[in-house]
Amino acid sequence: MAQPLGSEARAGLKLISPTAIYVILLLAVPLATVLIYSVLTGGRGNVSLPITIENYAELWTKAQYGYIMLKSLLVALTVTFITVMLAYPVAYFVSFHVKPERKSLWLFLITIPFWTSYIIRVSLWFVILGYGGIVDSALASIGLPPLNVASYSLLSIVIVLAHAYAPFAVLPIFVSLEKVDRSLLEAGQDLGESRWITFLRVTLPLSMPGVIAAALIVFIPTVGDYVTPELVGDGKEPMIANVIEIQLLKLQNFPQGSAFAVASMLMVGIVSVLFVLWNKRYIGGQK
Amino acid sequence: MTTTDDRPTMIEFKDVHKYYGDYHALRGINGTIKAGEFFSLLGPSGCGKTTLLRTIAGFEDISSGVIMIDGKDMASVAANTRPTNMVFQSYAIFPHMSVEENVGFGLRKDPRSKDEKAAAVAEALGMVGLKGFGKRAAHALSGGQRQRVALARALILKPKVLLLDEPLSALDKKMREHMQVELIKLQRQVGITFILVTHDQEEALVMSDRIAVMFDGEIAQLADPETLYRRPATKKVADFIGTMNFIPATILSEAGDKVEIEAKGLGRVALDIAQAPTPAGEDPVVGLRPETLTLLYDDQKAPERETEGVIDEVIYFGDMTYYDVYLGGTDVEVRLSMRNVPGRPVLDVGTKVRVAWSPSALVLFR
Repeated sequence: MAQPLGSEARAGLKLISPTAIYVILLLAVPLATVLIYSVLTGGRGNVSLPITIENYAELWTKAQYGYIMLKSLLVALTVTFITVMLAYPVAYFVSFHVKPERKSLWLFLITIPFWTSYIIRVSLWFVILGYGGIVDSALASIGLPPLNVASYSLLSIVIVLAHAYAPFAVLPIFVSLEKVDRSLLEAGQDLGESRWITFLRVTLPLSMPGVIAAALIVFIPTVGDYVTPELVGDGKEPMIANVIEIQLLKLQNFPQGSAFAVASMLMVGIVSVLFVLWNKRYIGGQK
Repeated sequence: MTTTDDRPTMIEFKDVHKYYGDYHALRGINGTIKAGEFFSLLGPSGCGKTTLLRTIAGFEDISSGVIMIDGKDMASVAANTRPTNMVFQSYAIFPHMSVEENVGFGLRKDPRSKDEKAAAVAEALGMVGLKGFGKRAAHALSGGQRQRVALARALILKPKVLLLDEPLSALDKKMREHMQVELIKLQRQVGITFILVTHDQEEALVMSDRIAVMFDGEIAQLADPETLYRRPATKKVADFIGTMNFIPATILSEAGDKVEIEAKGLGRVALDIAQAPTPAGEDPVVGLRPETLTLLYDDQKAPERETEGVIDEVIYFGDMTYYDVYLGGTDVEVRLSMRNVPGRPVLDVGTKVRVAWSPSALVLFR
């Protein structure tokens, strides 16, 4: 093993070094800093020894922190569920009912919302959902009272996030549906099942890896989303990321903010592992 | 060959047409398939044989005409309620299920108890020689095993008709020959109608009670293997089934049930009208199978007719030798096959030979 590096290995190192340096400096070092800070004693704007678990104890005992963590988790899971449920029919339609030569056009069209900045899209939702917005004026025109959806912060956050992440969910589901051998569906019907039951017994299980990948892709960023609660919820319904920002930047309580960040990473990690384990059930049975 | 004429009709086609847009895939299919028959649809790729099979299964609608299965018009019957089951070319084994889940797939609505169903699955697996494979994952099977699973999965539902779409084409030669025999045995054992789609004429001849040869969306000939081989209805069928020598000929006279011709290199021959299945046209040729020609050794006498020739090519196969021979000083070359038996040496290129042949083995295509 202790041989001098071959030319191939040296070329490999050269090729990955820019990325490696980037990852070490901008990912590993900050992450380590957060981990270390989270167990130090904090003052305003500084950290000091001794090492303590006080910050984590604070998270565990203070009800408001637990509430925010749980709220973020539930919002993220709701958004994930809604997004995947909406994305599946779209992916199914493109995979099964769009002519092969048109599929890439359809996928391209699905990405169109990304042409506009996220901030602008969020602002546009105000025009749609806000007091006197499109939804309300439509209701008014048929004689119904306004809903002012935007005043329900959590509901608005869920709607905006579900819309924003829909294209991310469509793609992995589409890919897994594309891989389903079409003769399997004919076999299902040949063996006496209707189209719907064949979907439930064949297509759906075979596309589960894509569904789970889509769920992960939506869930991970939504748990830590900062912009949406700030803009849509008007800051009235802070999520994890907003609380971390308050702790780190406004209160300058670095250890407490770091502990919060670590706790939220753990939460995402545990849920993701559960998803991956669930996925194994489906991947295990296939080549 | 078993006679099938006295068996009841299982499938009947009445002027079946199928269009894909402008493309006319099936051009007026007529015919019947008998109950318990091993029936083959044979033809080159693109001839419509798979389309015809899929119209029986209900995966393709027909543009016009009628398909009857067991006396019922299938026009409004969906694929999942037809009394047919299919073995797909790709086998279509469900990759997320075990072998027994695959075989038991169609039993969901079966009113039998769980134990009875499990016994039925085990029995079906035993029938195809996969006893004890039930718990295996479907993706861990070899090609031959997948095919057996596909067979068991279809047969467990006791269909009236089993449809097989090129089931052997993915297997290697040894395995294919083995499975041909197994399929024949299985068909006799279960006694249901098998319809096989194949492009392999040898496979069709070996396995079938009757064969429909298809070209360009039409049935060119529907007959038992022996008739198909000895009395092909058209030159195209003759060319597709086995090897056939074609010799240019001129028609001298036609009177009653006799046709007299002059075949290049063979001379004048009087044929029975049954040997001329096609209506009169231009460029008549006579067809001769290689095994109906025999080389005469030493002072052997030809039982019927003989013609002189020169060997142009020798192809040695071990048990057989193929000779390409120029007939009677002409440029007409025929292939003939001789069994290699003791006392019959393999001859060299350029040897002058005498070729024995029989007028009754000729087929005239006009």
